[in-house]
Amino acid sequence: MTLGLREILNKHNSLISGTAACPGCPENMAMRMLGMGLGKDTVVVVVAGCSSIIQGNAPYNSFNLPVVNIAFAAGSAAASGLARAYKQKGKDVNVVVWAGDGGTADIGFASLSGAAERNEDIIYVCVDNEAYMNSGGQRSGSTPLGAITSTTPEGKKENKKNLPFLMVSHNAPYVATASVGYPHDYIQKLKRAKEIDGFRYIHVLTPDPYGWLFDPSRTAEIAKLAVQTCYWPLFEYYNGKITVSQECLHCLDKRTRRPIKDFLSVQGRFKRVKEEDITKLEKYIDDMWEKIKELM
Amino acid sequence: MIRKIISGNEAVATAVKLARVGLTGIYPITPQTSIIEKLAEMKAQGEIQTEIVRVESEHSAMAATYGAALAGIRAFTATASQGLLYMHEMVWWVAGSRVPVVMVVGTRAVGAPWNIWNEHTDFTSERDSGWIMAFASNPQEALDLTIQAFRISEDERVFLPVMVGMDGFILSHTKTNVLIPDQEQIDDYLPPRRQPYVIDPEDPVEIGNMFPPEGYMKLRESIHLALKNSEDIIRQHGREYNKKVSPMIDYSTLNSSYRLEDADYAVVLMGAWAGDAMEAIDVLREKGIKIGMLRVRYLRPWSEKEIKENLEGKKGVLVVDRSTSFGRGGPLYIEVKSTIQDTEVKDIVTGLGGVTVGKNDMIYLFSKFVEGIKEDVTWYYPKEVGKLDIRTPRDIE
Ligand code: SF4
Repeated sequence: MTLGLREILNKHNSLISGTAACPGCPENMAMRMLGMGLGKDTVVVVVAGCSSIIQGNAPYNSFNLPVVNIAFAAGSAAASGLARAYKQKGKDVNVVVWAGDGGTADIGFASLSGAAERNEDIIYVCVDNEAYMNSGGQRSGSTPLGAITSTTPEGKKENKKNLPFLMVSHNAPYVATASVGYPHDYIQKLKRAKEIDGFRYIHVLTPDPYGWLFDPSRTAEIAKLAVQTCYWPLFEYYNGKITVSQECLHCLDKRTRRPIKDFLSVQGRFKRVKEEDITKLEKYIDDMWEKIKELM
Repeated sequence: MIRKIISGNEAVATAVKLARVGLTGIYPITPQTSIIEKLAEMKAQGEIQTEIVRVESEHSAMAATYGAALAGIRAFTATASQGLLYMHEMVWWVAGSRVPVVMVVGTRAVGAPWNIWNEHTDFTSERDSGWIMAFASNPQEALDLTIQAFRISEDERVFLPVMVGMDGFILSHTKTNVLIPDQEQIDDYLPPRRQPYVIDPEDPVEIGNMFPPEGYMKLRESIHLALKNSEDIIRQHGREYNKKVSPMIDYSTLNSSYRLEDADYAVVLMGAWAGDAMEAIDVLREKGIKIGMLRVRYLRPWSEKEIKENLEGKKGVLVVDRSTSFGRGGPLYIEVKSTIQDTEVKDIVTGLGGVTVGKNDMIYLFSKFVEGIKEDVTWYYPKEVGKLDIRTPRDIE
């Protein structure tokens, strides 16, 4: 089923004016789509990060949903408490953890893993801008190899931690990847997640103009490029199987993939990337797609 | 009301059951573990409705408890020592959110080095966090104070979290006679949950987002005032507990005193060893030494009024601390010293890491004090411990 734009926009407006986001902010885009996918009966637990600031200063809030802001490592656990309390009260509420890659891959990983293992009835959305952008762009476990960050000025030496696969390994009932470059795909995944019980994980690539060093007008375009070059897959995992979105079906065959250089060359953070690093990145991408194929 | 021989931990679990807690975030840590094990057992037997979340860390235990409290149900957790330190961040987060939550701390030493035995440092190190902090001296009090904690925490004039401390092993694991109130009595005493706001899509509010400096500081002051003003409210709920539930222990005051009225000298301490202190006081009284005791039952709010009324005008006050504020003395000592001006205050730091300090030690310490000890703060070791020699980094230099 494909939704028309009009139909989507009729849904709950989860982002209203007055956000404190940088121009071209991908997390803003992702938040706006959240309401389109999940509707009004949603509570968001915002883990420390850009999104804690994007809301704007209290007593105002540009996230048009009930929001619990919380310290890094506590998001999934607080959401567990909320979800169970709503169940006890007989209320049907989508409890969403909204966390960046730092709060997901690094400092918040233990509570994320715990909630996944307990199969808590929550939706975890990781908005991945691939570094600790809110504190000035330091490397995270989710930063790709070769990327310059403020703590890896020479380029990161290690590969990105593959969180969606980690969540698949946790036997989560639903795991999906998305990109703010493809709103329809992301919103449909949110809708699907809403229909499923238990722990649901959606990992959204949110290219950040300020950390990735590209012009803020190009956020959606870069988000698309990530998918087109097969750097970022779009898939859903449920019932023990991966389904790849049509936007990246071409990635299943190495020969039809668009060169990764097309993605790297438009961002300042890869300006020092060496040939050997590109080879390593390509290997990372190959391995990832092999794994995806195994699970199809 | 029935009488049962149970441990402090079981008494707390019973209080949680009687308070009809909606959710308990659980993570095991010695010596608190048997509270949550008991609750899990009660749940498995169908004796309680409480939702139990078996989380992966203390940090998450407090976070899950917090989440449930925000969503509008009564929430409880328990911890100790490293566990409390691990959840420290969330302890502050809960107080800053002004949401009612109750926690029990089975007190224990803090590493390094590892030590599982009793002292109060874990508990006292949370004294700036904005929680109301009660401390029990026997399993009965652990039960009573835990139930009262829900009443106080959910009072609209308070709306702050409450923690109840209890000496690890000494109370947590020792079985004594405990009077267990009937469910009807507690239902009569503890009204349905109230809280300042609920996180719910029906009435969307946000909590914890960025606050400008002035707003932040105002919030801080509101916590300060709520804590300060909770003093009378605690007395009020204490009196009501005495009336509706049990008159056995007097809860009309924040602190409890023993033979203090006509005493020349006063001893101040907190927790289970108040029993040993009382016996020591009886012995010294027989020898003609007029000494009495003030037992701190609420570290926060700190009742200046009660402390002054009870201690001012005495010839001397000896504080016995089971915790430390390194380089300074014991936390109780610092509090007492800053409260009373015209009286000499001395401090003994002892009983750390489970060092046993009993009646005879108390007799020795109290009579030394009456004779007039010179140092303001003394570290006291019972005889056999005093001989122990360990190498510290300083010795090696
Ligand atoms: S740093 Fe990036 S993610 Fe953070 S607010 Fe700015 S644009 Fe958005």
